[in-house]
Amino acid sequence: MATIRLNVNGIVHEKEMDPNMPLLWVLRDILGLTGTKFGCGIAQCGACTVLVDGQAVRSCSMGVQSAMDKNIETIEGVEATPFRSLQQAWIDQQVPQCGYCQSGQLMNAIGFLKSNPNPTDEAILNAMSGNICRCGTYPRILKAIKSVVEQSSKNNGI
Amino acid sequence: MKTMNSRRDFLKRTGLASGGLVIGLNFLQSCVNEVVNIPKNAAPLVDLENGFQAQGALSVTDFLQIRPDGSVFLSLTKYEMGQGVSTGLSSILAEELEADWEKINIKYIKSSVSESDITGGSTSTLLHWDLLRKAGAFAKYLLIEAAAKEWTVYEDQCYAENGHIHQHGSTVKLGYGELVEKVVVPESYQTLFDEVPLKYQSKFKLIGKSLKSKIIPDIVTGKHPFSIDVRLPNMKYAAVLRCPVFKGKLLSFDASDALRIPGVEKVVKVDGVILDAATHIRDGVAVIANSTWAAFQGKLAVKAEWDLGENAKMEHQKFVADCLEQLDSNRGTEILRIGKKINTSEMDQIISYTYEFPYQHHACMEPLNATSHFKGDSCEMWVGTQSADKIIANIEKHLGIPKENIKINCHPSGGGFGLRYSSEYAVESMVVSKAAGGDLVKMCYSREDDIKFDYLNPFELNKHTVGIKDGRPLFWDFKNVMANWGGLLGWMYYDIPNCSGTQITVDGFTQVGAWRSVMANAEGFSTECFIDEVAHELNRDPLEFRLSLLPRNKMVDFKHSYKCNINRLRGALELVAKKAKWGKSMPEDSAQGIAVYPYMHGNGYGAVVAEVSIANNEIKVTKITASIDCGLVINPDQVRQQMEGGVIWALSAIFHGGTEYANGVVKRSNFHDNPVLRINEIPEIEVHICENDETRPWGVGEIAGPPTYAAVCNAIFAATGKRIRKLPIKKSVLAL
Ligand code: FES
Ligand code: FES
Repeated sequence: MATIRLNVNGIVHEKEMDPNMPLLWVLRDILGLTGTKFGCGIAQCGACTVLVDGQAVRSCSMGVQSAMDKNIETIEGVEATPFRSLQQAWIDQQVPQCGYCQSGQLMNAIGFLKSNPNPTDEAILNAMSGNICRCGTYPRILKAIKSVVEQSSKNNGI
Repeated sequence: MKTMNSRRDFLKRTGLASGGLVIGLNFLQSCVNEVVNIPKNAAPLVDLENGFQAQGALSVTDFLQIRPDGSVFLSLTKYEMGQGVSTGLSSILAEELEADWEKINIKYIKSSVSESDITGGSTSTLLHWDLLRKAGAFAKYLLIEAAAKEWTVYEDQCYAENGHIHQHGSTVKLGYGELVEKVVVPESYQTLFDEVPLKYQSKFKLIGKSLKSKIIPDIVTGKHPFSIDVRLPNMKYAAVLRCPVFKGKLLSFDASDALRIPGVEKVVKVDGVILDAATHIRDGVAVIANSTWAAFQGKLAVKAEWDLGENAKMEHQKFVADCLEQLDSNRGTEILRIGKKINTSEMDQIISYTYEFPYQHHACMEPLNATSHFKGDSCEMWVGTQSADKIIANIEKHLGIPKENIKINCHPSGGGFGLRYSSEYAVESMVVSKAAGGDLVKMCYSREDDIKFDYLNPFELNKHTVGIKDGRPLFWDFKNVMANWGGLLGWMYYDIPNCSGTQITVDGFTQVGAWRSVMANAEGFSTECFIDEVAHELNRDPLEFRLSLLPRNKMVDFKHSYKCNINRLRGALELVAKKAKWGKSMPEDSAQGIAVYPYMHGNGYGAVVAEVSIANNEIKVTKITASIDCGLVINPDQVRQQMEGGVIWALSAIFHGGTEYANGVVKRSNFHDNPVLRINEIPEIEVHICENDETRPWGVGEIAGPPTYAAVCNAIFAATGKRIRKLPIKKSVLAL
C-alpha cells in the first residue's frame, strides 16, 4: 500500500491504495468516478479511455502510480471544458445506443482532436479504430466528429 | 386517498407525500392481448419453460406519475439496453397525455415480484402501444375533468396541449402540476380506462417525429446508471473462478495465494446449480475483495482442481461432424407440412445445400455483472436484465426465498442482445452473496469470463432442398439441427405448393442463449442464400425470381404470433431494390447481392442490398442499402439507428464471428482473439423506411441481421463465383 496523489478534473485526491492498481479501478472503485468504463482490461476496446496530460490513454492498462501528479481528465469533467461541443455533437447526431462505450469514444475523440484539430476522414477512422462499439454507432461517431471539426474550422478552434 | 390492492383492480390511484397524481397498473395484459394473441402451441420466443408464457402479470404501483411541479415520470416496464425503449415508449405516452415532451422523465423500476416485463423479440413497443396510449389518455381525461370543475365549465370546453389544460376561446390555462392534487378518480375508472377515447392518428404530433433520446444527455456526461456502476454502503466486490467446462465439478481449491493479495477478504466455494439443459450456474470459487481489481487478481491466484467431466472430451470438429450425421438421419420432429409429399424421382432437378451458422458470442460492451444481497429469507439485487421475472423465479426455486421477499432494482445495460435474457449470471451473484455469508457483493465478470462463459447463440445447420418441375420449385424441404435449443421456425414465405420442415435437437456441449434475431439468423441466412442459388441455377434474376414467388395480397400463417404479410415483405424488397438501383452496372470486381426476410417475432420486414468489391483478393463490403417495414413508425431516427446497428452486428458476425472449442473449453477470451467490427471496417450504410398502411408499430431491433448475412454472401458469390454456405468467413477470397 502507498499514498497516491491524483489530480482528476482539477480536484486533488490523496488516498492509501495498492500502487499497482490500474488507474481505471482507482477511478471507479476508490474515487467513485464510474463514468469511465471497464470493457476488456487489456487495452483492446477503449471503453476506459481518459486523458492524462492531454493524451488519450487506456486507463485499464496504466498503473495508478504513473498517473501520479499528472493532469487526469475523465468524462465527468468534459462539460466544464470547450470540448462540451463534442458532447453536444453526440446529442445532435444521436450517436449513443446503449452508451457504454461512449465515455471512451468521447475521451478518445477529444485526445485525438487536441493533437489533430483538422483531420481527414481517414485519420478520424484510424484514430477511433481502437474504440469498440458493439451497438454499431460508428457511422454516427464519424459524423459527429466531422461536424465538430467543420464547426471549429469555421470558428478557428473548438 | 383510496388504494385498491385486489389483483382485479386494473388501475389504482395511490397517494405519495407530495407525489401528485400516481397511476399504478395491476393487470393481466388484457389490453394488449388483442395484438399478441399467442397461440398455445406457438414456438415460444426463446425458452419453452420460461418464455412467453411467463409474462403473465404486470404490476407497477407507480407506472405513471405527474408531480406538482408538472414533471411526468414513466416507469420503464421494458428494459433499456440501447434499443431505445425509454424514448420510444415515453413518446407514445406523451402523445396521448398531451404532455410537454421536455418534462417527461424515465424511471427504472424497482421490482418486487413482477413489475417488469420480459424484453425480447423486438416486441417492446408493439406490446405496450395500447397500454401507453390508454394510460396517457386516461390521465389526460382526469386532468380535463379536474380543470373543468375548477372553472365550472363543461369538459368539452377544455382541451389539453403541451402540459396544460386550456379553455377554448380563452387564454385561461392550468398546468398539469397545478391540477394533479385536484384530480378525482371515479369509481368506474376501470370502464373509463377501457373506453377512454384515443387520438386520431392523423393528429399525432410526437409519434412519427425523430424526437431526441431521453437517455443520451446522461450517457455523454457519464451519468447513465449502468448496473456495473452501482455503489452501495458496505458493498464488496466479487470475481468468480468458474469450471472451464460445462457441467464440470469442483474437486478442491487452494486459496492461500489469493488471500495474500492486498484487498482480498474471503475466498468461498460456489456450488453449481442446474437451471435447465442449456444453462447452469457452474461450480466455482468466489473471491470477495474491497475492489474489482483485487477480486480479479485474487481469482487469478486461486488454484482449483476440477473434474471436467464428459464435455471435456468434446472437440469442435467432432461436434460439427456429429451434427452433419444427424442431418442425414431419419430422426427429428416434423414442424412444417404444406401440401403433400412429393416423389423426388418425378422432378426435373433437385437442388440441395446445407448451411452452417456457428456458435456466436455476444460480447456486450458492459461485461455481465450483478450486485446481490442475500439476507436469509429475503434478498435484494441490482442488475440489468431482459427478464427480471426469470431471476425471481430461479431465486425462489433454487435459493428458497419466497418471491414476495425478492426485490430487483432494474438498471439499463451496456448492451443486451439476448444475453441478458439469461438469468444465470444474476442468480449466480446471489449464490455468491449467500456463500459469502450474506455480504453485499457486486460480482463482475472479467472480459475473459464474459467470453468464456457466454450464453452463446446455438450452433445451427440448415439443409434446404427444392425439387424443380417445369422451371418452378414444386417442393421445398428444410431440415434443421440445433444444439440444446428447440428452434426451427419454419417461416416459409415463398409460395411453393409443397413444403416440409424437420427439426433435430442434439445435446450440445456448452451453454446457449438468445442472440439478437435468435433463430432467424441461421434461417434467414440459409433460406435467402439458398433461394439465390436456386435463382442462379434456373438462370433467373435473384430479385425477379423472389418476387415471382411472393404473390401479392397473401397472408401466410406460420402458426406464430402474427401472420406474414406478403405485401409488406414485397414492399421492403421492392423499396431496397429501387433505392440501391438493383442491377445497375457495377465496376469490375464488384457486385450486388440481395435478400429479404420477415422477422415474425416482431412482425417487421427487412431487405438488404449489399455491394462488395474485391481488390488484391480482399473482400470489402462497400455499401449496404437496407429497408424496413416496421408498421407505424414511432421515431424514424431510432429506426435508422437500430438498422445501422443491426447491419454492423451482422457484418461483425460474418467476418469475425463464431467460436472455437478445445477439450470443451472456449478458446477465445477477449477482443484480441474475439474481434468485432471496428469503425475502420464499416461500409456506407443507407436505411430506408417503407411507407405502409399499418396503424400499429411493429418490431425494429432484430430486423436487419438476417437479410444482411444473406445479401453480403450473395454479393460475394456474384463477385467471385464462390458460394458461402458457412459463417464466419475470412476476408481473403483465397480462403473461401
Ligand atoms: S477496458 Fe481499457 S481498453 Fe478496454
Ligand atoms: S453505444 Fe453500445 S457499445 Fe457503443
